[in-house]
Amino acid sequence: MTLALVLGGVLALAAVAFVARPFLREPAPASDRLDEPGEPERRRLALAEERDHALAALKELEFDHRTGKVSDEDYRSLVGPLRRRAAEALRSLEPRAEGRHERVRSSR
Amino acid sequence: MTKVAARRSPARLVIALSVAAALAVFVLYTSIAGAGTPQIQPSDLPHHAGQVLLVGKVVSTSGDAHSHGGMRFVLRDVSHGSPARATVVYHGSVPDPYRIGREVVVTGKLRNDVFVANTDSLTTKCPSKYAPAKSKT
Amino acid sequence: MPALGRAALLLSFGLVLYALVAGSYAAWRRRRRLALSAQNALLASFLTTAIAAGILWAALARRDFSFVYVSQHISHSLPLGYALSAFWGGQEGSLLLWLLILSGYAALAVWLNRGTRELMAWVVPVLAGVAGFFAFMLCFVSSPFDTAPAPADGAGMVPSLQNPYMLAHPPLLYLGYVGLTIPFAFAMGALLSRRTDERWIVATRRWTLTAWTFLGVGQLLGAHWAYVEIGWGGYYAWDPVENAALMPWLAATAFLHSVMIQEKRGMLKVWNMVLVALAFCLSIFGTFLTRSGVVSSIHSFSQSPIGGWFLGFIVVCVVFSVALIYLRLPILRARTKLESLVSREATFLYNNLLLVAFCLTILWGVTYPLLTQALRGETRSVSKPYYDFFLHSFGLPLLLLMGIGPLVAWRRASIRALSRMFLIPFGVAAATGVALVAAGFGSSPPGLLAYTFSAFVLASIVLEFVRGRRATGSVVRLIGRNRRRYGGYLVHAAIVLLAIGIAGSSSYQTVREHALRQGQSMEIAGYTLTYNGLGSKQEANALATRATVDVSRGHSHVATLHPGKNTYPVEKTTSNEVSIYHDPRNLGDVFLIADQIDPNGTLYLKALVKPLVNLIWAAGFLFVFGALVALWPDAVEQRRLAERYASGAVAA
Repeated sequence: MTLALVLGGVLALAAVAFVARPFLREPAPASDRLDEPGEPERRRLALAEERDHALAALKELEFDHRTGKVSDEDYRSLVGPLRRRAAEALRSLEPRAEGRHERVRSSR
Repeated sequence: MTKVAARRSPARLVIALSVAAALAVFVLYTSIAGAGTPQIQPSDLPHHAGQVLLVGKVVSTSGDAHSHGGMRFVLRDVSHGSPARATVVYHGSVPDPYRIGREVVVTGKLRNDVFVANTDSLTTKCPSKYAPAKSKT
Repeated sequence: MPALGRAALLLSFGLVLYALVAGSYAAWRRRRRLALSAQNALLASFLTTAIAAGILWAALARRDFSFVYVSQHISHSLPLGYALSAFWGGQEGSLLLWLLILSGYAALAVWLNRGTRELMAWVVPVLAGVAGFFAFMLCFVSSPFDTAPAPADGAGMVPSLQNPYMLAHPPLLYLGYVGLTIPFAFAMGALLSRRTDERWIVATRRWTLTAWTFLGVGQLLGAHWAYVEIGWGGYYAWDPVENAALMPWLAATAFLHSVMIQEKRGMLKVWNMVLVALAFCLSIFGTFLTRSGVVSSIHSFSQSPIGGWFLGFIVVCVVFSVALIYLRLPILRARTKLESLVSREATFLYNNLLLVAFCLTILWGVTYPLLTQALRGETRSVSKPYYDFFLHSFGLPLLLLMGIGPLVAWRRASIRALSRMFLIPFGVAAATGVALVAAGFGSSPPGLLAYTFSAFVLASIVLEFVRGRRATGSVVRLIGRNRRRYGGYLVHAAIVLLAIGIAGSSSYQTVREHALRQGQSMEIAGYTLTYNGLGSKQEANALATRATVDVSRGHSHVATLHPGKNTYPVEKTTSNEVSIYHDPRNLGDVFLIADQIDPNGTLYLKALVKPLVNLIWAAGFLFVFGALVALWPDAVEQRRLAERYASGAVAA
């Protein structure tokens, strides 16, 4: 089965070439380090997630309030802390975003 | 709305109570309904008095499962170890793969040396898709 | 050609082995190029596996009986479609299908997430490890490319597999089973790389939902197949092989819900890790059960040596997951605590507990024969009564929760808000319950409860849509803006339909058996069945014997059914061919089985009337539709997520 042999050989060569590609493309790179997120980046990510969660929770709270799932009292007591959480997260990330947040809120 | 009194991890309490409840349900069931039905082969049959699941290979078969007298077949152990045989009297549906040489499962109890099967309790194993290579029968 | 297939599989094995070893080293030592190289190896393994699969398919199409696998599973007379489906009809082929789908999914996941190198650096070796097991099995234990002198004709396909479902059911199930590997790999990757963010959840959310949908649809298809083809009158027998698919599906359902809690409230991080590992391990366990012959099932048969290998692999997976989760417990600390036992988080928690409890009782039932054999020397088994009991104990509260959950707010719900939300659904349920009892449905308490709870849930879902539409102006806009929530509601509605269909067709079914001579009739549940004829016809690979039975309701004829048997000369077997009338009046079926046809023409007819059974299949379509809605990408959300995870991004 010489055909099988040849095809198999070609396949193996192609596979090896593809696997070796990163080394062939950069035989002597400036840095071979796989960067992992440092402390500042991790903090930024955590803050970004915090901001998104707070904004999503606000949006959901307002929707639930409009559909009657959350009473006026509950809404009043819950919305304050949520807005503060969102504002804090936004402040830590983007100092000038508070105005944008106000705009988001008033557009409802 | 007044501030809700701070609770210490109600989540853990909930989980613990629910696990306890689930276990209670489970224990209650097994104690009342009994712990399963024994699954035995013809060589063990003489030792079991009550309802069992009899597993065996069909050696011979006669009669009509829909007739008054029922179908009579003889089972042996699945592996060739024992000469023991069990005679089964069966009424009800007979699955298509049923034939001599097939492994079958039937529920019932031993009565006067004859295994009286519950109606419609006969099942056969599908010829395996996953068994290693066998010669054609 | 078999040699090339073997070579391709060996290459696959080599590539994933490299991806595992080099990838682990690269992630540990932070070597960028080596990590990329490992990634490429994983990508390449898909190509080599696809080539191996193509060779097997070609051999099946050509009826090349020099392949042992081909000669064992098909014959010359088998139609082409079924011949191709024999790919997954046997052990070796189904393992190859698994590897094909796994390497395909892995390649896709790697490709889509090639930006997050630090996370993928660990995900790649985990994926490679799982793929490596299957590649190893295919190369050294159970190869589809064994050859032997070709016989004149193959062994043919078991008649019950000669059905269009054979083309769809196993691949769909596998797309589900294997799909659970991806979230598992990402979760373990996140733990290995010590990441505390939710990237892995965001990346795998659609994978989990897709795999879960495939698994659900695959099971429904399997149930339908059993219903119409095996024809004992039922669709689920609590057989170990069936349970093997149900268990991971239940675990995945729990995971889909609890992951929402982690996203919104930062809780249950450890629980989610445990669940995703459980779902994955159960999917491998399911395969082990089916193949090893270790538990007696009508599907499995003999003890296969492959069982031992699978068991070993499962042990490795369990130990690995448990150890890793334990070691990373410090970084899995919750952000917040559960504030109230009456909140949506709490109902999700209860739902999780019930789902996992049900899953574990099924696991117990399935392994019970093994445990009793090992501990007492005597094999004992449990059957339908055991499973039905727990289906009712856990399933009915779950059904009720599906209606309660959506009505409760996050964090905490006040009694006033709850009573306002619950009033109408409760009223609907109460009215339904009373009406049903008056109509005589009290004969089955679980059935009655199922119907009543279903009314509650449906009412609450409808109300959610009504209230939502009032708030946003149109249903389309409502769904468009809240795809996950309302897609989820549609899926819940599908599950409710499923519950109603199951309750109707099991708790309220009627079964009658009669021996009939030509011209005689029997009555069942308001239908009259008259046996009017018997005939035989030669088909492609079988002799078909059919009885003609006329079905009438009152004095009007509604259908003519043809239950009978097929005799297959090549495979030397007979199969039951049932005949079903779908009654539009009650969405139920009149199900006829020709239990036995005597030489003198006497027909032993078994008839079942199963009310509402067609809701089960209809539910499947709604299920898929709801899942698609929930899956549909939201452009705004996608942009936000992209911005969040772009490394080093500052003010937009």
